[in-house]
Amino acid sequence: MNATAAALLALVGLTLVKATPLIYAALGGVLSERSGVVNIGLEGILIAGAFTSVAVSAATGNPFAGALAGIVAGMLLAALLAFAATRLAVDQIVAGTGLNIAALAAAAFGLVLVFHQPGASTEVPALGPRGQTTLIVLAFVAAAALHWVLTRTPWGLRVRACGEDPGAAESAGIDALKTRFWAVVIGGAICSLGGVYLALAELDLYSDGMTAGRGFIALAAVIFGRWTPLGATGAALFFGFFAALQFTLQQAGIPSQLLQALPYLAALVALCGFAGRVRAPAADGLPYVRH
Amino acid sequence: MTAALLRTRAFRDVAVVIVLVFGVGSIAMLLAHVSPFDGFYALIDGAFGTKYELAETLVQTTNLLLPALGIAIAFRAGLFNIGAEGQLVIGGFAAGWLGAQLLLPGYLAVPMVLLAGVVAGGAWGAIPGFMRARFGANEVIATLMLNFVAALLTTYLVTGPLQQGGAGAAETSPLLKAAQLPTLFGTQLTWAFVIALGLAFVMHWVLRRTVFGYELRAAGDAPEAAKRAGIDLSRTALLAMTISGAFAGLGGASIVAGELHRFNTGLSPGYGFIAIAVALVGNLDPRWIVVAALAFGALQSGGYVMQAEAHVPREVVSLVTGLVIVALAGRRVVAAQRST
Repeated sequence: MNATAAALLALVGLTLVKATPLIYAALGGVLSERSGVVNIGLEGILIAGAFTSVAVSAATGNPFAGALAGIVAGMLLAALLAFAATRLAVDQIVAGTGLNIAALAAAAFGLVLVFHQPGASTEVPALGPRGQTTLIVLAFVAAAALHWVLTRTPWGLRVRACGEDPGAAESAGIDALKTRFWAVVIGGAICSLGGVYLALAELDLYSDGMTAGRGFIALAAVIFGRWTPLGATGAALFFGFFAALQFTLQQAGIPSQLLQALPYLAALVALCGFAGRVRAPAADGLPYVRH
Repeated sequence: MTAALLRTRAFRDVAVVIVLVFGVGSIAMLLAHVSPFDGFYALIDGAFGTKYELAETLVQTTNLLLPALGIAIAFRAGLFNIGAEGQLVIGGFAAGWLGAQLLLPGYLAVPMVLLAGVVAGGAWGAIPGFMRARFGANEVIATLMLNFVAALLTTYLVTGPLQQGGAGAAETSPLLKAAQLPTLFGTQLTWAFVIALGLAFVMHWVLRRTVFGYELRAAGDAPEAAKRAGIDLSRTALLAMTISGAFAGLGGASIVAGELHRFNTGLSPGYGFIAIAVALVGNLDPRWIVVAALAFGALQSGGYVMQAEAHVPREVVSLVTGLVIVALAGRRVVAAQRST
């Protein structure tokens, strides 16, 4: 094998490493938004998954218990958003923004309580390289599974109906509030795997700001991927590729900030309709209130 | 009757905020093994105890009041500006860059520096406004994404082509003396506080007494009816977002000209996001936003003292702020405007 092939292989590997948390978060976002709930709180769910998995892994010495706890934490945070968005019919954007602020602060506060130091935790028992590979493969399995669920199963059809027209869905006998609630919660579980991956697979600790806006990049991937699981996965890979290239391109004189801004710029372009027709689910972001 | 109802709702909101601040705050303090009495004493004493602490509270009030007024304008027009943070950063950068090289006497330099912030922040706010007016792009996601673009762009500029702060520093050179905002009462409080208060009253007047204010509110309250009445919704959206960004940009400029005396990339601890809570608690009414900004300003400045003296991590303040936003997201005024 020559040097170029080796470099290419390394680049592919690094792309997968960088894209995996984005894929999980974006899939969580897709499921939530297809049911009609905009999930601005993806970043907060990543933080909850990452911090909780590290804290529980430290407490139990078992990284699998940590991973499980991270998923539960992500689901609980998502359930809070889902409850507010369905039963209380609150503004989803406002609630999600608040959750992100609260989750970041709670994790920073938790670091002081659990690890008695601000900024970062100590190193904790982690999932290791095998765990990382498993989570990377699982991300693609999750993407295929979500695609199948949304397009081929009755529940997927119900989710999509609630995202397009919850009133009509209810006329057809679907409980729109319940469907939306579970779509957001399951989406939260998928998203939190991204946080678990960051903290326990790619690293073995939690530090303040380690999610670094990945929840928002995932949101961009959802839009760029046209609200489909496969499209969002493709967009996440695309963004992951540029994150992997960052170091190389930086040496070629391209400023790293430009590369970091790429996902956001791509989403802005997509929003304006320059990258083909982009249409959100018709009832995306609108609270549904029964009459 | 409407007045009585409004008062009831406002009452409930204030009750929710107080319960969250003291309830969640106490629990967090107990978890940190600090008596809530000591913790809250440090917080309140730290916000109001001395002349300088009071001045710091008013500085923080100013930093929150300006973006909050902008957010409220967008909200009243039925738009959600989640991008105040980015507009504030861009405004601060423009002020810092101009202020470091403007050889003018103070009575010209200070207004020019503040104006630079207004123009830059307004332009940054106009981008999502234009995207919405021209392409129907969702302004929520656009403003959110532009926060990151603003942070990355200014970081690039001050570490790259416009680097002035010496090798490795992500900041501009210091503002020339003439371009710095004059202080008040021998404290760190500056004229920015007075300007922000004045703008709150101007905004109150514009919203209630001018045709533009009426059009803005009509576009937010009943877009269909407004359209039928001949109000140009695209133009209103563009103007509302531009003004909204200009307020946040002025906020950034006043931090640079009054506090830091230079732009650096860490100038905001999230004022643009905390300001969302301020605007909501203030019921999107400029007069009440002033009161809400004072309350959150006190939490901000008192939080530093609480951490230093009572050893309660100041993240408790952010935690409570985030929960206040979640709790007030269900307000009719928010949900109704966005679902139309």
